[in-house]
Amino acid sequence: MSNWLESAVTRAETVSDWLSPKREASLALLREAKVPTRKTEAWKYTPVRAIDQVTVSTEVSASVQVESIDDLNSVDLVFINGEFDAAQSSSELPAGLTVSRLVDADDSARAWALSAFSNIKPDRHLFGLVNDVLATDGALIDVAEGVEIEQPIRIVSLLTQGAEAHTRVLVRLAERSKVAIVEQFLGNEASYNTGFAEYDVAAEAELEHYRFATQVNEALSIGGSHFNLGEKAQLNSTLIGFGSKLSRVDVDVTHAGSHAFAKMNVIYLLDGKELFDLHSTVEHAVPHGTTEENVRGIVADHAKVVFNGRIHIHRNAQKTLAELNNRNLLMSRTAEINTKPELEIYADDVRCAHGATIAELDKKALYYMQSRGLSRSQAQVMLNFGFINELVEQMPNQVLAEWLRPQLKARFAQMEVG
Amino acid sequence: MMSSEKVLLKIDNLSAKVEEKSILKGLSLEVKPGEVHAIMGPNGAGKSTLGYVLSGREGYEVQSGSATLDGVDLLEMEAEERARAGLFLAFQYPVEIPGVSNLEFMKASVDAQREARGETSLSSAEFLRLAKAACKQVDLPLAFLKRGVNEGFSGGEKKRNELMQMLLLQPKLCILDESDSGLDIDALQVVAEGVNSQRTEDRSFIIVTHYQRLLDYIKPDYVHVLADGKIIRSGDASLALELEEQGYAWLTEKEA
Ligand SMILES: Nc1ncnc2c1ncn2[C@@H]1O[C@H](COP(=O)(O)OP(=O)(O)O)[C@@H](O)[C@H]1O
Ligand SMILES: [Mg+2]
Repeated sequence: MSNWLESAVTRAETVSDWLSPKREASLALLREAKVPTRKTEAWKYTPVRAIDQVTVSTEVSASVQVESIDDLNSVDLVFINGEFDAAQSSSELPAGLTVSRLVDADDSARAWALSAFSNIKPDRHLFGLVNDVLATDGALIDVAEGVEIEQPIRIVSLLTQGAEAHTRVLVRLAERSKVAIVEQFLGNEASYNTGFAEYDVAAEAELEHYRFATQVNEALSIGGSHFNLGEKAQLNSTLIGFGSKLSRVDVDVTHAGSHAFAKMNVIYLLDGKELFDLHSTVEHAVPHGTTEENVRGIVADHAKVVFNGRIHIHRNAQKTLAELNNRNLLMSRTAEINTKPELEIYADDVRCAHGATIAELDKKALYYMQSRGLSRSQAQVMLNFGFINELVEQMPNQVLAEWLRPQLKARFAQMEVG
Repeated sequence: MMSSEKVLLKIDNLSAKVEEKSILKGLSLEVKPGEVHAIMGPNGAGKSTLGYVLSGREGYEVQSGSATLDGVDLLEMEAEERARAGLFLAFQYPVEIPGVSNLEFMKASVDAQREARGETSLSSAEFLRLAKAACKQVDLPLAFLKRGVNEGFSGGEKKRNELMQMLLLQPKLCILDESDSGLDIDALQVVAEGVNSQRTEDRSFIIVTHYQRLLDYIKPDYVHVLADGKIIRSGDASLALELEEQGYAWLTEKEA
């Protein structure tokens, strides 16, 4: 095989299951697709050749213990190298919640999954198409009307050395339901995975969402979280990105019903030669939608971050309130930040703002802190943490915030000012 | 004030430059334990620079001379080591640190200094109790403990916040750089009372000020005039009154 794209197409031709009608459409698109190059706008700063340089297989099985999150009391769904691990997954579900796997979905699950699959995630995401045709397993999560699920649902995808996996998550929140979903990606050794999730949030439903794209080092991880918001639906999403040899996340939010509210907080922290690429697109298709997107990151050493954030306000999306803000802290002159916040406005009665800043570590603040007895590295950790803490504090689930804090601090402790 | 023969801070013929510009030009000063020294002088004389040089700010380069605290060479130490050795500078322009809470910052500072002295760190509850007391003493609402360090504080609130840090850190030598500038009379008294409450036989103060007013409340043992990078005149508290009446010109002219 000459490359990962041809390989995906060839392998897809052998996949046949209840999702085939959907997979075929994506396969047709994939056959026409080209491997992105530097001239491909969506991949301008993010080379994908690493995927061809790693030897991976979908046949790697491993038994690894996934760390639980203390006090989270979550419903866990664990996939190791794409394979469902029943032993580490929760067997009991709260009332109002239906969870099935892609491979064992019953007729009713299949029915809604078929209508959702690849309908919320836009077709322009090349690796989304790869995931469409190759996803072998994943979760279908269905929350019944008016039900508030108190336990967060944690979906873990862990990759081990040499593994390739494609997992898919479909979530449906019926009207006035409420749930928190955590997508957690783990495994830092050479591996390749795509992980895409689609969320259909019906009228007046509330989704609390977390994506922890915290694979580092050799991992090649590409995925996306895609949301469709009904009338008065609410999304509160937190994305944490650490960056690795190749780490790419696409986020799409469509305000399909009016008066929906989307809050998206993103924190990325990069070190070494890591790369993290986030493309987010928010479509305001109807009036009275609100979007607040706050993206903050710290980039050290030779790391590279790409942020492309687009908010598109359609002609009839009057009274839209949209804010997109990207703030970066550059720790070293050799680090690279490519940021492009974009507002495209076709309605005339809207309130919108967007901006991006890149600042260097505040030497005066470092000295001030040292003058009180803190070591330089302690001061640096505090300063860095201060830069993103506001977003950590805004995480609706404080157990998750508490769990995250030491991991962020550990990462700061490694970063050195260049 | 009783003073022993011991010297706490000894600055001898200190010269320093910033960005190739000589600012301190052979400054000497001795402060004994328990003493309060006021430093006055025209704008741009080098008063703040002295504080920065002593506290170890990057970019302030010592060219000659020496400075010791308790007989130990200050100038060889990192900024944090000087703080741990007991030096405290209340900044003329305190720095804002958004996102880092005042309480967390002060706890970390106190912990770092205790650890350096081989003491155990205070429990959160113990520290909170001390911090609340200090906050009340400088007349700031308790909400200021939760706020980002100096973040959005008014000029006067920043100065009181510096004082709060001083109360908690219990330094040996406190340098207050224009802690009275921009304060109304009530706030001035709060600062003065804060300083007076900390006066002990061992603790010394260097108070940089433009105004005699503050010295009505904090009675200095000595008053110095710093001009063009050195001390050109020293006297007792009455010198401050003279300066208030006559300004600095008569001194600098005589000097020239
Ligand atoms: N970073 C700097 N770069 C260049 N000149 C400086 C810098 N900091 C201070 N100076 C200069 O040094 C002199 C002394 O400043 P400063 O110590 O702040 O005076 P004072 O506190 O007595 O008013 C002034 O002329 C000031 O402009
Ligand atoms: Mg000054």
